[in-house]
Amino acid sequence: MSSSVFGNRTTGLSLTLPAALFAAALFLVPVAILLSEAFVGPEGGFSLSAYSDFFADPRYRAVFWRTLKLGVLVTLTAAIIGYVAAFAIVSLPPKSRGRIFGLVILPLMISPVARTYAWLVILGRTGIVNETLGLFGIEPIRFLFTETAVFIGLLQLFMPLMIVSLISAMENMPSDAVPAARLLGASWVQVFLRVILPLTREGLVIGGTLVFTGSLTAYITPAILGGSKVLMLETLLYQRVTVARDFASASVIALILILMCFGANLVLRRLATVKRRTAA
Amino acid sequence: MNRIAAWTVISLLLVFLIGPFIIILGAALSAGPVMAFPPDGLSLQWFEKVFSIDSFRSSFAISIWLGLCSPLAALILGVPASYAMARYDVRGAELVRLLVSAPIIVPGIIVGLALLRYLVIPTGIGIGLALFLAHTALVLPYAVRVVSASMDNLRADIEEAAVMLGCSRLGAFLRVVLPNIRGGILAAFILGFVTSFNEVPVALFLSGPGITTLPIDMIGYMEITYDPSVAALAALLAALSIAIVFAAERFLGLSRYV
Repeated sequence: MSSSVFGNRTTGLSLTLPAALFAAALFLVPVAILLSEAFVGPEGGFSLSAYSDFFADPRYRAVFWRTLKLGVLVTLTAAIIGYVAAFAIVSLPPKSRGRIFGLVILPLMISPVARTYAWLVILGRTGIVNETLGLFGIEPIRFLFTETAVFIGLLQLFMPLMIVSLISAMENMPSDAVPAARLLGASWVQVFLRVILPLTREGLVIGGTLVFTGSLTAYITPAILGGSKVLMLETLLYQRVTVARDFASASVIALILILMCFGANLVLRRLATVKRRTAA
Repeated sequence: MNRIAAWTVISLLLVFLIGPFIIILGAALSAGPVMAFPPDGLSLQWFEKVFSIDSFRSSFAISIWLGLCSPLAALILGVPASYAMARYDVRGAELVRLLVSAPIIVPGIIVGLALLRYLVIPTGIGIGLALFLAHTALVLPYAVRVVSASMDNLRADIEEAAVMLGCSRLGAFLRVVLPNIRGGILAAFILGFVTSFNEVPVALFLSGPGITTLPIDMIGYMEITYDPSVAALAALLAALSIAIVFAAERFLGLSRYV
């Protein structure tokens, strides 16, 4: 804006500075110091030994791969269920669509502790699933402290984010695109791959980024449903600090987590723009 | 998709997303001593027990206090910044946006640990103050985003007209801009409250003797006991969040801002 009233740059800068400085002082500086810690060797000076030590340990490598695997699995599953759910919700008349939309985002407002806790009741040894299996004479299955439990918990936690992103993408889709393709003889698979997917790619990318980074950095779900048996990077970090005061590993894990989140952001954004260009 | 298929999909989805909360409520109403669903008889004893646990009372007070103060502080920082970025040609506005949104990108647990080691320990400030500062930074991105959205919807020429008619810049802001972005400010406050109140990762390391937020306290309690009082508390918290969001939607149209 270059009008006379808003021309003064110093005023603008002085109004934004407090917020920027606050965020820098509280986030950037402490986090930067924390990250730099892993690059200092035992005798001082630059060293990568904390990183080589970390990746040399098979238990830590397992935690790293498990975190990545669960992140990818949760994101893919959320995308598949999300497409079906979003398509069903968008096909409703506006009034019920609004209500269902409200119910889908409702869990996002509720404490993640409460949300994860429910799965203890459902999946526990005397939980609903096992009680039901017991009625048929099936021995109780151990769900808690398994990857399955963590997977289910994460999926429930983050699926609303995917559905919301996909719904807003589908609402921007021309309403006659799908019926037209069907009329011209396309199968549902073709409709999805050639019409729906290209037109909702951006929503998929936003939802995917939110779900993936959310799953990587979730603490409560792996802590409660996975315990020390199914460690993920966040719970490993917490354990290294509280149990062993091992700040070098904590710093390594912190950088890995940040890089994974940034990486996911970059790769997915890239994917969205490249495909759009080729489609056009 | 035909209607029956659509409703089947939606019902299954809602069972998965909402069902667990109904189960929490059922388990909380149980008369038996351990978590079970369906409950062994009905009683309100676990709801009573929640209120008799001292640590829950004090951590609840801390969480409410944080939930009210941090969005307020974030708005004091965020409203001027959003206003300036919408109205002035601020050099480095993109950098400011990036800085302010950093708290969303950096995982909370890392921030909590970093603040504990490089702010609390070296300067000796209290855990409570550190929590307040951390939560302020955490809700700042929401404040800036929501308020910026309402600033974008406000035409600049109304304010220009006020200035040309003799209003001071501050006067124009207070009398013309502020009343028009009131809804956005309230929405940002509510969103900030819910975010701060439910926040776990940052508070994980920022907790000390006597100062713990409610969610952290609940996790600690769950690790040692398996009685339904946590279910009762979880049900109460869920009801509180739903009530706040419902009221906000009803009276403000919260979803317009998010």
